[in-house]
Amino acid sequence: MMSETRTIAVLPPPVPGAPPRTRAPRPERWTMDNGLQVIALPRSTVPQVVLRMAFAAGSAADPAEFPGTASLTGGLLTEGTETMTADELNARLDGLGASVHASVGHDFAEVEAVFLSETLAEGIALMAEVAIRPTFPEREVERIRAESLDAILSRLDEPANVAEDRSALEVFGPAHPYGHPPFGTAEGIRTVPRDALVAFHAAHYRPRGAFLVASGDFDTAELRALLDEAFAGWTGEPPSIGYGADADAAVAAGRLVVVPWEDAAQSEIRIAGLGLDRLSPDWFAGSVANYVLGGSTITGRLGSNLREDKGWTYGARSYFLPGLALGGWVAETAVDVEVTAAAVQEMLSEMRRLADERVPDDELRRAKDAMILSLPRYFETPSGVAGRFVTLEAYSLPHDYWDTYADRVEAVTAEDVQRVARQVFHPDRVVRVVVGAMPEAGA
Amino acid sequence: MSTLISSTIRIPSTTRVLANGLRVVAHEDPSAPIVTVHLMFRAGSRDERPGRTGLAHLLEHLMFEGSQHAPKGHFDDALERVGGSNNGSTWLDRTNYYETVPTHAVELPLWLERDRMAFFLPMLTGEVLELQRGVVMNERRQVIENRPYGMADEQLHELLFPADHPYSWPTIGYMRDLEQITLEDARAFYQTYYTPGNAVLVFAGDIEAGRAFELAERYFGDLPAGPALPPPPVPVMPPPPNGARRVMEDDVSFPRIMQAFAVPAYGTPDWIALDVLAYLLADGDSSRLQRALVRDGRLAQDVDSYLYPTALCGVFGFVSTARSEVEPEALEHAIRQVVDEVIANGVTDEELTGAVRRVRRDQVSELATVEERADALAYAATVLGDADAVHTVLDGYAEVTTDDLRRVAAEYLVPERGATLVVVPRPGQEDDEEDDDE
Repeated sequence: MMSETRTIAVLPPPVPGAPPRTRAPRPERWTMDNGLQVIALPRSTVPQVVLRMAFAAGSAADPAEFPGTASLTGGLLTEGTETMTADELNARLDGLGASVHASVGHDFAEVEAVFLSETLAEGIALMAEVAIRPTFPEREVERIRAESLDAILSRLDEPANVAEDRSALEVFGPAHPYGHPPFGTAEGIRTVPRDALVAFHAAHYRPRGAFLVASGDFDTAELRALLDEAFAGWTGEPPSIGYGADADAAVAAGRLVVVPWEDAAQSEIRIAGLGLDRLSPDWFAGSVANYVLGGSTITGRLGSNLREDKGWTYGARSYFLPGLALGGWVAETAVDVEVTAAAVQEMLSEMRRLADERVPDDELRRAKDAMILSLPRYFETPSGVAGRFVTLEAYSLPHDYWDTYADRVEAVTAEDVQRVARQVFHPDRVVRVVVGAMPEAGA
Repeated sequence: MSTLISSTIRIPSTTRVLANGLRVVAHEDPSAPIVTVHLMFRAGSRDERPGRTGLAHLLEHLMFEGSQHAPKGHFDDALERVGGSNNGSTWLDRTNYYETVPTHAVELPLWLERDRMAFFLPMLTGEVLELQRGVVMNERRQVIENRPYGMADEQLHELLFPADHPYSWPTIGYMRDLEQITLEDARAFYQTYYTPGNAVLVFAGDIEAGRAFELAERYFGDLPAGPALPPPPVPVMPPPPNGARRVMEDDVSFPRIMQAFAVPAYGTPDWIALDVLAYLLADGDSSRLQRALVRDGRLAQDVDSYLYPTALCGVFGFVSTARSEVEPEALEHAIRQVVDEVIANGVTDEELTGAVRRVRRDQVSELATVEERADALAYAATVLGDADAVHTVLDGYAEVTTDDLRRVAAEYLVPERGATLVVVPRPGQEDDEEDDDE
C-alpha cells in the first residue's frame, strides 16, 4: 500500500446561512353536496396522484360480539363491486398500473389509491366503486376470513408483535378498543356472518363526516368534476362511535409483565403508558420532550445510552400514539437477553431524569431545530403531503396547523418539557413488558 | 381503458471527474428546498473474504463513530441541528452514506464526509470496534435471528451459490466471523476501498450543477487519490445449483417455500425483461401467481417474486407462505406450473402492458424523493459505470416484448438453475406466561 506523506488541510466547519422558512402547501377545501369533505393539494412534481379517503369505520366501531368486523369489511372492499367481479376489478386496476387498498386502524378505515396521473379519471371511478359499492361475495368472504385467521396466528410468531400487543392491552385495558389490535380476534373473525359485514359497510361508509385528501399531479377543477360524478347518489351519515371504558391507568401503572420466549436471541422491551390527547395544548411540549428522550434512535437519550454508550441494542426509540379517544406513549428496544433487566433500569432512569432535571438549553435547542428545520422533507412527495393533511383532518386540527407548527414548537420551554415528562414519562405511570427473558432480574 | 404508457421518467444529471478520480454527479431539482448528498463506495460484502464476512457493514457502522474533527456523536448531532437526516447502508456490491439537508446547510454534510474520508483512522480504536461489534451483533439478532423466517434468505443464498462465490454469504455477516474481525481488518478495508477513485459523490435537489462541482472540488479535490483498485470483476454467472434443496425448521406457524435463480446482471436487457416478468407474475391481484396460489388456488396466504439489481449477476426469487393444512410442496408445484405455462405459451400483450405500467407506478413513487434519485444515480455510476446509464434501464422497459418474457423464463427460470428452501414449523410446545408484580 502506498504511504501518504502529504498533509491534508483541516477546513473550518461550514456555518450554515439562515434557514428558509418552510411554506406548507395550502390546500383547496370544499364540502360536496353529500357532506364529503375534500382537501385538494395539486402539484405536478411527479406524474402521480395519491388519494386517501377516510371513514370513521375502524375497529372501535366493531360490534361487541364480532371483533374483527371492521377489519374484514375493509379487506373485502376490493373483492367485488356492483359492476365488477373481483377478477374484473383486479384486472382493471393492474392494467392501469393503479393500486387501491384499504387499511383499518382503531379509529378509521382508509381507502388509498395511487395511480399515474394519465389514469386519473379511471382511478377515481374505481376508488369510488370500491369504497361505496362493494358486494362482499360469499366466496371471497370465506377466503379473506381464512387468510385473516392465518395472519393472526403468524403475527404471534414474532416477539416484537407480541410485545406490542401486550403493552397495548396493559395500558388501555381489555374494555377499551385501543387495548386490542385493530384486526380483531380469531373468534370474532371466525364467527362474524357475511350479513354483518354488509350491514357494517352500509352503516359506516357514508359521506358525512368522511374526508378525502388528493395530492399530486392533477387539475383541481377536473378533480372536482370527476368526484362529483363518481360519488353522485351516495348519501348519509354514519352512527357515532362509543369508545367504551377509559383506560384504567391506575391498575396498569407500575406493572411488570414477562412473556417467556424460549431460545430468544433478544428480549423485546416495551415501556408504555397513556400519552396525550392529540388536541392537548401540551402536544408540542410532549413532542419536544419525546424527541429529547427517544425521538431519534441514535441521538435520543435512550439510543445514546443503550446503543452508543453500551452497545446493547441496534436502536431504542419512543413515540406518541395519537388516538381519537385517548393517546398512548411507548418506548421500545430489543437487547441481549443477558442485559434485559439492566436495560429496563436504564430506560426508566432516562425517563426519570427528564422528569426530575431541567433539560439543558442546548439539548432543547437541538430538538427544536431538528423538528422545525426538517419540515421541508414532510412536503416533498405526493404521498408525504397527503399524509400530513390526513393527520389534520383525522384529529380535527386547525387548518393553519402546518403554518404555525414552527412557532408552536419554538414556544416550548424547558419547564413545559419537564411538566409533560412528569406526566407521561414518570416510571410510576408506565407498564413494563418484556418478551424474552430477564435472567439477571431476580425480581 | 387508456392504453398509453406513461412517458419515461428522467433523472437528468451532469458528471465531472476530479483529478483524484472522484466522480461527481449533479442532478438539479428545485421543487423542494432540500439537497441530498450521497457518497457511494464500490465496496460491499462481495469484497470480503470468507472468515471475515460482515466486515464491510461493520465498517459502515464504525464510520459514524467519529473522525478527528467531528468526534463521537458529532455526525448525527450536527446534521439534526440543521434539520437534516442521514444514514448509510451496505449491500452486496456497494456501501453508501447519504445526508438530506435543507438547502442552506448543504456544506455541512460535505465537511463531515470529508472529515471521515481524510481523518477517520486516528479515531478508530479497539474500544470503538468492540462497541459497534456489539451493536451489529444485536442488529443481526434483531433483524435476522429473532424474526420468523429471518434465517431463510441466508440459507437460500448458501444453496444458490458455491461457498467461494461472494454472493453466498450474508451482508450482515456470520456471527462467528463478526467475532473474528480485527482492527487491522477494518483499517485495511477502509484504506483499500474508501478512496476518491473508488467513490461517486451525487448531489440531488435544490442546487445548481456549477455550485455542486465547486463545492465538491473545495471539500474533496485535495484528498489523495489513494491506491488504484483492480477493475471491477466481469459479471460471471455461477454454476447452476442443479435444483439444490434444503428443509429448514423455524419457530413459525406456517410453512414457506422460497426459490431463487441466478440471472444476468442489473441493467442488461435480460435483467429488465426479468423485472417485467416478476411484476407480471406476482404483482397485483390479477397476476398469474396471485391467482394460482392465493385467489383461485387458495393454497397460500401470499406469494411474491423479486429481482435483485446486483452487479455480478441478478437474483430472481419466489417466496410464498402456505395456508393452514396446506403442504409446501403444493405451493412449489403451483409456482412451477405457472412458470412452465409462460415458457410453453408465453404471455399476452395486455399482461405485458399492465406489468410495465405497474413497474412505472413503483418507479414514480420511488423516484419522487431526491434521496432515492441520488441513490439511483450513484448506483448506476457504481454498477453500470455511468450515472446516466440509469436511463438505459428506465427506457429499457418500453422495449420489452412478450417474446422476451417467454425467452427469459425459458432460459433462466428452469428447475436445474434454481435452489429451493422449504421452511417448516419446528415441532414445539406452547409458550407459557408469567406475570410478575415484583
